Amino acid sequence: MGRPLTEAELVERARRGDQDAYGELVHAYQGIAFRTAYLLTGNAADAEDAAQEGFVKAFYALGRFRPGAELRPWLLRIVANEARNRRRSARRRGTLALRAAAAVPSGGAAPSPETSVLDAERSALLLDALNGLREEERDVVACRYLLELSEEETAETLGVRKGTVKSRLSRALAHLRQRMEVDDV
Amino acid sequence: MSELELALVSLGRQLDYPETPDLSGAVRRRLAEGERPRSWRRPLVMALAVLAVVVAAVMAVPQARSTILDWLGIGSVTVRQVEELPKIEGSDLRLGRRVSLAEARRLATFAVRVPTLSGYRHPAVYFRRDVTQVSLLYGSIKEPKLLISEIWAPGAIDKLVTTRTDVELVREGEWRGAWLHGGEHVLYLPGFDRELRLVGNALVVQGSDGVTVRIEADVSKQEAIRILRSLKKGE
Repeated sequence: MGRPLTEAELVERARRGDQDAYGELVHAYQGIAFRTAYLLTGNAADAEDAAQEGFVKAFYALGRFRPGAELRPWLLRIVANEARNRRRSARRRGTLALRAAAAVPSGGAAPSPETSVLDAERSALLLDALNGLREEERDVVACRYLLELSEEETAETLGVRKGTVKSRLSRALAHLRQRMEVDDV
Repeated sequence: MSELELALVSLGRQLDYPETPDLSGAVRRRLAEGERPRSWRRPLVMALAVLAVVVAAVMAVPQARSTILDWLGIGSVTVRQVEELPKIEGSDLRLGRRVSLAEARRLATFAVRVPTLSGYRHPAVYFRRDVTQVSLLYGSIKEPKLLISEIWAPGAIDKLVTTRTDVELVREGEWRGAWLHGGEHVLYLPGFDRELRLVGNALVVQGSDGVTVRIEADVSKQEAIRILRSLKKGE
């Protein structure tokens, strides 16, 4: 049995029209692409449509993908553009929600019931504050912190400079702090 | 990271994401069926095939025109009709930094074209990294006479038009797109909320390689198309 192909090899095959190779790349990135689209649209149907369309567009655009560049942010940028198009067309933005069991951490000691309630309340407050941000600030926070992309990936995904990411994050965090303080009163 | 930043990371792990659909299977099926991206197929094939004959008449009907323009995506550019144009402050072209043509060709992820017509061969070249756009400027930044912009990025630009702007579909060789004239429209970069600028006449077309070219100048449609026809890729 041969070794699995590297991402670079899959990209090269896909550039030559190998749809199976491209399917493997889609499979590898469909989770982060769908979550990105979902955070930008706030709607599962729009997110699925945007991610699928983005992957199809990216296949036909692979000829313009610079060999050696990072594939993930390049794909996410195309998907993010599709997602924002749908958000504009719908003239609405969905709001995000927490999982029902959101307050239970994934590891470590089980929290006390009081701690869980406090964590859940704080998360809900933070999410409310986030949902209230301007789109450009919410988008950059979503990519950088919720999706845990690097600053470079965030810049590439949103099609802005790294400096713009930094300044928007700074403004967004200040606005979140203000909103959280107001909510705490 | 600050406490707030850590809280946001934690929040991201607690969000109620819907289950990821089988995108891989859906994409494979679409590619196997030879399906092109919808924004190419729907706006251009449908718009051109169905509307070419009656486009002038249909464009005269405000409601039909609005519907058609909502479909009209030309590569990186989406044309949308709005009731009123947003207010514009300033008229900065925001072309990025001045570069040599050779540098622009090295930086761009697509083959940059330059007019071969006499008098158009030596533009000032600008490169904007964030949207990977190459612009060829004739005249000065303050008094531009002609601006040719080349970009490849799906959904990178919106053009907002009102009923005062005439939109004619254009099909010229490898190019498909529209000629916008008769009334100012607004160019808007999604993701850059404050980046709006007024544009007069503009030819917006997509080439067979997916690159979108915008030719903005106070010239006739025939002259804009003459410039378009002369565009050639470099080495």
